[in-house]
Amino acid sequence: MRTIILTVNGLSKEVSVNDNEVLLNVLRDKLGVTSVKAACWKGECGLCTVLLNGLPVKSCMTLAVEADGKEVITAEGLYSDERAKKLQESFVKHGALQCGFCTPAFIVASHHVLSKEPDIDGEDLKKELSGITCRCGTYYQIYDAVKDARKYYKKDH
Amino acid sequence: MSYNTPNISLPKFTYYKADNLTDALSLLKQYNGNARVLAGGIELFKQMRQRLIVPEHIIDIKGIEELRKIDVTDRGIEIGPAVTAVELQKSQIIRDKCPPLFKAAAFMGDRILQNSVTIGGNLTSGLPCTEGVPALMSMDSVLEVRSAERSRILPVSDLVLNIRKTTLNSDEIITKIIVPYNGGLSGGYLKLLNASEMAVANVAVALFSAKRKLRMAIGAVSVKPYYFDESTLGWKWNEPIEENIRVALNAIGSTIQPMAYNRVASAEYRGEIAKVLAARALKELFRGA
Repeated sequence: MRTIILTVNGLSKEVSVNDNEVLLNVLRDKLGVTSVKAACWKGECGLCTVLLNGLPVKSCMTLAVEADGKEVITAEGLYSDERAKKLQESFVKHGALQCGFCTPAFIVASHHVLSKEPDIDGEDLKKELSGITCRCGTYYQIYDAVKDARKYYKKDH
Repeated sequence: MSYNTPNISLPKFTYYKADNLTDALSLLKQYNGNARVLAGGIELFKQMRQRLIVPEHIIDIKGIEELRKIDVTDRGIEIGPAVTAVELQKSQIIRDKCPPLFKAAAFMGDRILQNSVTIGGNLTSGLPCTEGVPALMSMDSVLEVRSAERSRILPVSDLVLNIRKTTLNSDEIITKIIVPYNGGLSGGYLKLLNASEMAVANVAVALFSAKRKLRMAIGAVSVKPYYFDESTLGWKWNEPIEENIRVALNAIGSTIQPMAYNRVASAEYRGEIAKVLAARALKELFRGA
């Protein structure tokens, strides 16, 4: 066991981890951050996506010790962000979920995409979000919801 | 929930974060045969979860600054193995001077994984579907490989031995990927994925018009990528492009021995797609020439 320090959604946390634990285990089981979902454990479904130092990564493919000293943002941490709140409302408006299991990952990833490229459209947007699976198949609605939320991420808004 | 099960948990290991190359190499020597290098970790962790490999020591090289750089030197373009797929796509040097690699990087996993995937990990995975090997082969690239005792140059075309097997020794690290050209090269990369996003075939082409050199590498059709140059393709610079492509496709068809692997595609389909992609890549390459 070793002690690492993670800044999770703005709060600094000290946590003891085993070297073979991935960030996903630590977030869910040791820090109670349950918006991060565990499903495929091979980096395919994308439901465990978090922002690590500002970049989206799949937390099942990231060791907890690799994240030592870094900043982790999950869907919970976006609640205080006005734009992300609007993005979330857009998901509701467009019915961009059925069971909701993939929603936190899509919110985190699309928030990241819109923050850096608020004008993104078409195939580029689809490609950016292609790393996350929605088994209910609400991809069209997710696409519409994210496109609709672009306006909140533009400077003049 | 218990995570102590294969396919979900990683087997137990000790993690080392190397600050410099000397430390990484001496750790690798110390635990020779029982250690693995961590760059992107995607393929490594997949294999560890399946217990295909169970290393007791993991040496993280992502913190080593010199392995994360892209430089233009007198040897050509030098790329560190810990450069990520996203960094390759953001690099103006790669975009301008290594077009096959620039295009291949967009296929190295999905957009989220591309923040983690590294070129070094892509190469050393030894998987038939790897993007990096054919892309770099088309540019006659070589690898600088080091262990604690020695350094050697390994052509990328000699890297893959078999599925998940490379010619790297267990105490060696790729320290540089060297593309021996500094500009003057155009190129492309095409890959066809099946419905479950597994590679059917991929083709990288590079043209050095000033030197009248044409290179092609075809990956994923067999265990190792196939390499072609203007002579093995039967290319004649004074013939029309269409005729050259016809001859080249015959040469490709009689050389490659496609495999049926992993239920991804039948051998016949792979072979046919390889030729379709090759023709398309050559047409695109010579469209502007």
